[in-house]
Amino acid sequence: MGNISTPRVTCSYLNSYLGRNVLIVGKVMELRGDEAIVDADGNITVHLNREAHLSKGNGVQVIGKVNPDLSIKALTTLDLGTEVDFTLANTVVEISHQHPEVFHS
Amino acid sequence: MGYASQGYGAQGGEDGGGFMTSSQQGSQGATKSKYAEDTLRPVTIKQILDCKEPYPGGDLTLDGAPISQVTFVGQVRSVNAQTTNITYTVDDGTGMIDVKKWIDADRINDEMNSNNHIVPDTYVRIFGRLTTYNNRKHIGAHCVRIIRDFNEVNYHLLEATYVHLLLTKGGPQRPGQTGAATVGDIGGDSMFVDQGFNSDVQAKLAACSPAARTVFNFLADNPMGGNEGVHVNLIASNTRLSYRDALDAGNELLSHGLIYCTMDDETWAVMEC
Repeated sequence: MGNISTPRVTCSYLNSYLGRNVLIVGKVMELRGDEAIVDADGNITVHLNREAHLSKGNGVQVIGKVNPDLSIKALTTLDLGTEVDFTLANTVVEISHQHPEVFHS
Repeated sequence: MGYASQGYGAQGGEDGGGFMTSSQQGSQGATKSKYAEDTLRPVTIKQILDCKEPYPGGDLTLDGAPISQVTFVGQVRSVNAQTTNITYTVDDGTGMIDVKKWIDADRINDEMNSNNHIVPDTYVRIFGRLTTYNNRKHIGAHCVRIIRDFNEVNYHLLEATYVHLLLTKGGPQRPGQTGAATVGDIGGDSMFVDQGFNSDVQAKLAACSPAARTVFNFLADNPMGGNEGVHVNLIASNTRLSYRDALDAGNELLSHGLIYCTMDDETWAVMEC
């Protein structure tokens, strides 16, 4: 415990986190059965689990593992409603990578 | 009149209410030194887990500042309700920590029955005190509040970063700010740049810690200084730094050649340029 961190990423960071658990905040663009397209500074394919309750157009937080094809296998998802500031969320991702001493192990 | 003198304990010798005054004064005096350290600090959980004791048994510090009262946000991962307290495991993506909220027996019905019941995966904001027990950190929560607007999470992460940068790199340069005016001037693009320091001095100062800059500005502004210099005790009391911090700041300035020792090792004056 304590070392379990899930770095905040956007689409462009996925490459650097293959096989790791990450946290993504984005907008649900499409829902297709157990798959969703989430926009977090670029479209990301998310493979959902059964507990996922997403709505198209809403914000979503996905915590999941980065697959070799840069899709995400979701572990948990959280519907964030319609009031999410995505520019802010993307800025926080940038800031978190500029200051790893505050955010990442 | 009587109220004022009791409140501030200035006239403890007065007969009426003497007991009240002195006891109040005592408790105020004891807590006063701790008061400055009890500033509420926005943090990430990683920062909490990373902060260390400067020496065994010392107070925990983060970015060089003592830390006890903290506020942070996170998602509740587990809830463990006991009869006297509830322990939440909270995760903000940077780490996980246990948060213990003692149950107030008088308000138990409010907390249990209202729609403020906290279930796993809820985002919460926590205000609490950082404590260590058996080398394991946890938070004694004063308040655990459900976050209704997700953007608060991101605002908080930016605020935590801002405070971190403020403490490690100093604040933004604001000319005209009282007291810190010279800091702003030395910083660069103000119109008062040629206040007597050349660009070399400014460059060196920019690399110094905020405390060192405070000490330098005090020395530069102090008319008593002159060739005799100012003793570290006087600097400390005038800049509101601790003796230790003032000494460290002075040594930092000495190593940059910005000040020099005069009467003894702890009396300094600004190097004239």
